[in-house]
Amino acid sequence: MESSILESIGQEIIGVMSPVSLCMLLVVLLVYSLSDSNPFSSSSAPIRTAANLVYLENPSDTTAQKLEGALLNALVFVILIAIVTFVLVLLYYYNFTNFLKNYMRFSAFFVLGGFVVLGVRYNGWFYLLSIIQHFSIPIDSITCFLLLFNYTIVGVLSMFSGGMPIVLRQGYMVSLGIIVATWFTKLPEWTTWVLLVALALYDLVAVLAPGGPLKLLVELASSRDEELPALVYEARPTVSRNEGNPRSTLGFLVAGVSDSGSVEMQAVSNNNVRRDGAENRRSPEYTAIQVRNLENVEGERNRDEGERSPLVGHSRERYSSDSNSSEYSTVIHNRESETSVDEEMSPLVDLLGMDNEREHERRDSVVASRGIKLGLGDFVFYSVLVGRAAMYDLMTVYACYLAIISGLGCTLILLSVCHRALPALPISITLGVIFYFLTRLLMEPFVVGMATNLMMF
Amino acid sequence: MTVAAGIGYALVALGPSLSLFIAVISKKPFLILTLLSSTLVWLISLIILSGIWRAFLPLNSTTWWPFAILIFTSIAFQEGLRLLFWKVYKRLEDILDAFADRVSKPRLYLTDKMQIALAGGLGHGVAHAVFFCLSLLTPAFGPATYFVDRCSQIPFFLVSAIIALAFVTVHTFSMVIAFNGYAEGNKVDQLFVPSVHLAAGMMTLINFAYGGCIIGIPLLFLMAILTVMHCGRMVWRRLGENQRQFATTKTILSNPRLAAYYMRMFVMPIVVV
Repeated sequence: MESSILESIGQEIIGVMSPVSLCMLLVVLLVYSLSDSNPFSSSSAPIRTAANLVYLENPSDTTAQKLEGALLNALVFVILIAIVTFVLVLLYYYNFTNFLKNYMRFSAFFVLGGFVVLGVRYNGWFYLLSIIQHFSIPIDSITCFLLLFNYTIVGVLSMFSGGMPIVLRQGYMVSLGIIVATWFTKLPEWTTWVLLVALALYDLVAVLAPGGPLKLLVELASSRDEELPALVYEARPTVSRNEGNPRSTLGFLVAGVSDSGSVEMQAVSNNNVRRDGAENRRSPEYTAIQVRNLENVEGERNRDEGERSPLVGHSRERYSSDSNSSEYSTVIHNRESETSVDEEMSPLVDLLGMDNEREHERRDSVVASRGIKLGLGDFVFYSVLVGRAAMYDLMTVYACYLAIISGLGCTLILLSVCHRALPALPISITLGVIFYFLTRLLMEPFVVGMATNLMMF
Repeated sequence: MTVAAGIGYALVALGPSLSLFIAVISKKPFLILTLLSSTLVWLISLIILSGIWRAFLPLNSTTWWPFAILIFTSIAFQEGLRLLFWKVYKRLEDILDAFADRVSKPRLYLTDKMQIALAGGLGHGVAHAVFFCLSLLTPAFGPATYFVDRCSQIPFFLVSAIIALAFVTVHTFSMVIAFNGYAEGNKVDQLFVPSVHLAAGMMTLINFAYGGCIIGIPLLFLMAILTVMHCGRMVWRRLGENQRQFATTKTILSNPRLAAYYMRMFVMPIVVV
């Protein structure tokens, strides 16, 4: 029995949605378990951070005051972000790539390890402490420190060097998102909402407007054919697909053929994988030759390996160490499926002759080795929205979750239409905010009134 | 202990859906997307309804007829929405078939279509359970429980979880029946779905009387069992017809087995009541 297309369509979308959902779920659980019955998180003294430099919200202020203050806060924060992004773009433009990488290692180290950067009370350490306190886990400080230290080091290594399993990298991206998002939920309510809207607007401008910093960054990176110097979640295929070929569903639902985008969604192309494949396809010992070929190409590839994606790094490492061949066979598998894709696709590509067959193969495998990328910022702010909703009620959480996920889906579909890097925040945040207030103002009295009378439909 | 109770209530309402999700839906990304979008559709319908009814809230909780009107309009609206959902699905099915032709894959099997319908129905059901039961469960995790006057025998959370279970079942399987009815042009099935939905909604009105939930909930589960049995019979028949056309038939959506499982699930709450 051939597998139906239901199994292959939408794999990429789910690949992006599931980590986002996981991140949101964990943030909601954290917010929920820590918000009540914990003396630390009641935030008796409001903290001053980059996000509320101008105005400290006070529950007794009037609405106009709160709104004005929140607007000012958001404005200052967005301006700060814009300045930082421009500095990053400038650094990247003048090829300070190593500096950027080290800077990001450093900051990831501090966020994960949770030292002084954000103020000891409101970072990873703080959460760890309050979780330990909340569930009264018996653990001594030395063990705790050692565990945290190891966790941090592995995290930093996995995020910025090749040769680590991509699952580890993805896991650390999600945990980084969780830590930052939980920190952001400490902001006062009005500031959070205005800030989210302002960031969505900023995202829209920065990615789409000509001269927007993220647009510049993306174009630079793609013209240099390099990885983006940013914290980006890659939904790269990790398992071999046997029949449900990745390329076609991508082409159908989300033909993510955009070049790149740092804080945004993008489709990654992994050009250097294909070069060797083009020579000897359709030969009987396809796999065997493939293996040898990889070995030959090894030398040329080594040069830029450090900056390259983990997937490529894998194939090299596994091959040389020869300890764990499963990952390696994944690569081979992928290629085989590409071949079968080619044969299956023939009606679509109107009978290519032998001459342009190679070109076709090239194009196809480029598309096949793409994944969708989602910036860490999107993770963070989605989770901030849901976390903020969790402070009101569970109902708003579900509504916001659905709204954000559907916004993400819309963005992914737009990605297939536009073929370029797109901002992931605007649609989702807009929908999320609208649904939050609709749920809170309209739906909750309705549902509670019905349900407490045991009337349902 | 209280956390355990809260989780228990949640599982009473959503346990069967969860197992259905893991067994059938979660393996196929497209079905997950269908589930999510159908949940969103239900949420939007609820928001629109509450927007319309917001002006009349809170309803006088001594007279029952405003609730009857409310439930009737809501169900009418949602059944209209189901038709819309079907139209959209029909278009989607054409696109999927065209796409399957393009990549030289088999077109959608009958079981695939039924699974899509199941995912859509499950989305509706899960949305119902989430908004009418799960979102009110927050206090259940705390150290106390809550009883309503009209049904003072069992805690409110347990009642709402049990009712939600019945409605999840009705929603899930009536979508399968409805889609099949539309596809075959079967008038009986097309009318069966709204009437079951309406009957189930009206049966919650019995809860309005003091102690009414003792009668209302078993009747509600009767409707749920009726839906499952009808759905099981229909799927059985369709698969039998289909077997002659296709040499091989997938044994997905083995609804009779699910029906048996559901029967077991229902007997227990009824005994409790």
